[in-house]
Amino acid sequence: MSPIHDQSYRHYAGVKAPLGRSWTVIASAGIMTIVRKRVFLAILFVGWVQFFGRAIGFYFSNTIQQLSVLSASAETFRSFLEYQGFIVFVITIYVGAGLIAQDRRANALQLYLSKPLLRSEYIVGKLAVLAAFLLLVTMVPALMLLLVQVVLAGSSGFLKTNTFLIPAIVLASLLQVLLASVTMLALSSLSKSARFVAIMYAGVLFFTKAIFGVLYAITGTTAVAWVSPGENLAQVVDVIFRLKPRYATPWQVSLLVIIGLVAASVSVLERRVRGVEVVT
Amino acid sequence: MRVFDLSVSEMLWSRRTIFMALVVGAPVLIALFLRMLDAFGAPVFRVNNAMMAGPAIFGLMIWVFYLRFTVPVLGVFYGTSLIADEVEDKTITYLFTRPIPKGAVLMGKYFAYLACTLFVVLPSVVIVYLSIVPMRGNLGASFLDLLKDLGLLAIGLAVYGAVFAFIGARFKRPLLVGLIFIFGWEQAALAFPGYLKKFTVAYYLQAMVPHAMPNDSVVSLIQGVFRESPSLVESLVWLAAILFVFLCAAAASVERKEYILEQ
Amino acid sequence: MAVEAVVMGTVPVVTAEHVSKWYGQVIGLNDVSVSVPPGVTGLLGPNGAGKSTFMKLITGQLRPSKGDVKVLGEPIWRNPHLYFQIGFCPEQDAFYDRMTGLEWVRALVRLNGLTEKEADEAARRALAAVDLMEAAGKKIGAYSKGMRQRVKMAQALVHDPQLLILDEPLAGMDPIGRRKTIRLIRDWGRAGKSIIVSSHILHEIESMTSNILLINNGRILAEGDVHQIRDLIDEHPHTVYVRAEDPRRVARQFLDDTTDDVRSLRFEPGAVVVETGRPDAFYARLTDMAASGEFGAIDEVTSPDDNLQAVFQYLVK
Repeated sequence: MSPIHDQSYRHYAGVKAPLGRSWTVIASAGIMTIVRKRVFLAILFVGWVQFFGRAIGFYFSNTIQQLSVLSASAETFRSFLEYQGFIVFVITIYVGAGLIAQDRRANALQLYLSKPLLRSEYIVGKLAVLAAFLLLVTMVPALMLLLVQVVLAGSSGFLKTNTFLIPAIVLASLLQVLLASVTMLALSSLSKSARFVAIMYAGVLFFTKAIFGVLYAITGTTAVAWVSPGENLAQVVDVIFRLKPRYATPWQVSLLVIIGLVAASVSVLERRVRGVEVVT
Repeated sequence: MRVFDLSVSEMLWSRRTIFMALVVGAPVLIALFLRMLDAFGAPVFRVNNAMMAGPAIFGLMIWVFYLRFTVPVLGVFYGTSLIADEVEDKTITYLFTRPIPKGAVLMGKYFAYLACTLFVVLPSVVIVYLSIVPMRGNLGASFLDLLKDLGLLAIGLAVYGAVFAFIGARFKRPLLVGLIFIFGWEQAALAFPGYLKKFTVAYYLQAMVPHAMPNDSVVSLIQGVFRESPSLVESLVWLAAILFVFLCAAAASVERKEYILEQ
Repeated sequence: MAVEAVVMGTVPVVTAEHVSKWYGQVIGLNDVSVSVPPGVTGLLGPNGAGKSTFMKLITGQLRPSKGDVKVLGEPIWRNPHLYFQIGFCPEQDAFYDRMTGLEWVRALVRLNGLTEKEADEAARRALAAVDLMEAAGKKIGAYSKGMRQRVKMAQALVHDPQLLILDEPLAGMDPIGRRKTIRLIRDWGRAGKSIIVSSHILHEIESMTSNILLINNGRILAEGDVHQIRDLIDEHPHTVYVRAEDPRRVARQFLDDTTDDVRSLRFEPGAVVVETGRPDAFYARLTDMAASGEFGAIDEVTSPDDNLQAVFQYLVK
C-alpha cells in the first residue's frame, strides 16, 4: 500500500435514507433558522403567557374555595385556543410569509427540485416548519394546561368526566394549525416578496371579518358568518368542544368552507411549486 | 414633487394597489348587492322587526368597513412600505444618489401614497353612498354627512400614513408592528377608561364620525361604554399634530439611516 | 471652490482618511486612507475585498464607522448637493421594470432639477451615448442583460457629472458590449471626467487605465500607477523573457558579468527567461549587449509580469 493517501474525490459509501424522508431535512433547517432569532423567541414566550396565567388561575381555584370560579371546564380550553388566535396570526405571518416566497426570490426552487426531492416533500417540509411552531402555541400548551389541572386537582375526576377534551384539543388545534399554515403557504407561493404575502394574508383575514361585521349589522343574523374563515373555524371548534355553536350558520357549512379553503390552497401549491416557470 | 411624479405611477399600477382596489371594491359590490336585494323586496334589512334605512346602513359601512378596516389597513400596507419597497427592490440607490435630501424622497412617496389611496377610496365611498342611501333615505339630507365622511377618511389616511411611515422607517418588521398597533393596541386602548385612548389615532377620528357607532361585537360594546368624544377642534388639532410629528420623525429617520441592500 | 479645484486637476476627487466600516462583528473596511486623483482609476480586488463597501461609502449610501470620506473636497454623507456632480452606476440589477428606458432615465434626471423638456433631451443624449436609442421606447423588463447595464450607465451620466462612479459596469456583458463600454470609459476619461471603476477582472481594468487602487480584506494594498507599483515590489523579482538567436550565449554573458542583477534563469525554446531583482540595471545591460552584436541577434524582450495580474497576485497572496 502506498504511503501517500489518495486525495481525489471519493463517492459516498454510507447509508442513504430512502426517498420520502427529505422533508425532515427541509423542516429541521427551517426550524433552526427561525429559532435562532431572538425576536421570535420573545414572540413564543408571549404565546405562553396565557398558559401561565390560566395555570395560576387553576392553582388558586384548587387552593382557595372562594376562587373556584377560576376552575377548569370544557369552555376554558375552548376559550384558551380562541385567545391564542392572535399569537397564531403573528407567528403565521412571521414564520410563514417568507417560507416559499424567499425561495422563489432566490431562485432556490430549481435547486431544491433538481435534487431527489418530490414536490410534495418540499411542501410538507415547509408546512412542517410553520405547523411545528403553531402547535407549540396551541396544542402543546392546551394539553399541558389539562395536565396542570389534573395534577393540581390531585385526582383524575375532571379528566374522567371530560375524556373528550384530549381528542377535542388535538383535533381543534390541528384544524386551526392546518387552516393557517396551508393558506399561508399557498399565499407564500404566489409572490417573491414575503412582505406582500404578509399583507395579503392579513388583508384577507381582516377583510372577510369586516364583511361579516357589516353583513351581520345589516341583516341582524349570524347566518352570514360563513364569509369569514375565522368565524367558520370558531364555529367548528365550538362543535368539537361540544359547545353550542355561536353562529346561526350550520357547522357543516363552516366545515365545508374550511375544507374548500384547504383544498384551494393545496391546488395553488400544486400549480406554483415547480422547478421551472413557463412564461408564454 | 418629482419624487411624487416618479412614485405615483409606480404605486398606482403595483400589485399592492390592485389588491387595494379589490378591498375597496368589495363594499361597492356589497352595496350594489344589497340594493338589488332591496329591489326584490328581500327582508334582509329587518333587524328586530325594524327596517334599517339606507343612511343607517351607510353609516354602518363607514364605521365597520372604512374607518375600522380600510383606512388603518391601507395606512399600514402603504405607509410601512414607502421606503421598504424600494429597499427590497434595490431601487433605493437611484433615489438616494440624486441631489435631493433623503427626507424629501420619503415625503414625495408619502404624497404619492396619499394620492393613490384617496383616488381609490373616496370614489368607493361615493358609490356606496349613492347605492345605499336612497333606500328609505334621502340623498340630499345625507349629503353633508357624506362630505364629513370623505373629509374624515382623507384625514385618517393621511394620519395613519404618517404614523406608519415612521414605523416603516424605524422598525425592522414594520408590518407586524403596524398590525399589532391597529388590531392590538388601538382596540385595547379604546376599551379602557382613562387617558390610554388618547394615545391612539382612532380616538380622534371616531370623534368626528357623524354616524352612530354600531355594536357589532363585544369589543365594540365595551368601547362604546368607555367612549368619550373630544370636540371637533381638539380632534383636528391633535390629528394635525400627530401627522406633523410622525412625518417629520419619519423623514429624520430616513435621513440618518443606512440602507444595506441584500446581496 | 472644491469642485473647481478638482476640475483643474489639483485636488483628489475622493479622499478617505482612516476610514473603517464594520457591519456588526464583520469589518468591511479597515483603516483605509487613500486619495483618488482626477482621471480614470480602477478599484480592483477579489470578491469580498471591500470594493462595494468603499463604493457605497464614497457615494454616501453608508456612513463610515470611523474616519472621514470626502468627495470633490466635501463630506459626502447627507450632502445631496454633491450629487449634481456625481453619477453612480450601482452593481445591482434593479429597475422600475414597467418603465421604458427613456422614461426611466428622464424621470431620474428630473430629480436633478431639469424641466420636462430638458430632461427629455438629456435622457436622449445619454441613451445615444450608450448606444441604446433604438430600444429607448421598450420596457426595461424586456431588455437583455447588456442593455440593462447600459441603461444604468445612461442614468449615471445623464446629468453630465464631473465624477462617475461605476460599480462592476461590465458584469454580464457580452465581449462586444464590454469592448464598447471600455472604449466609452476611456473616451469619458479623455474628455476630462473623473471615473472610478470597480472590478475583480484584471484585464478589464488594465484596458481602461493604469491608475489603480488595489484592495483586499478591507485594506488598501496599493494605489497608483500599475507599473510603478510593480517596480516597488522589491521582494518579487521581475521576469524578463529574452528571445535570441543564441540564448545560451546570452545567458552565459548574464552570468559572467560581475553585476549581481540576475537571480535565476531558465531556458525555453529559442529564449532565456531571467529573474532579476534590479530590472533597470538589467535592461541597461541588455541594451548594451544587443547594441554590441557580440552575442547574436536579440529578437524580443518582454516582461510577462509587468502587468496587473502579476502585481495583484504578488500583493494578494
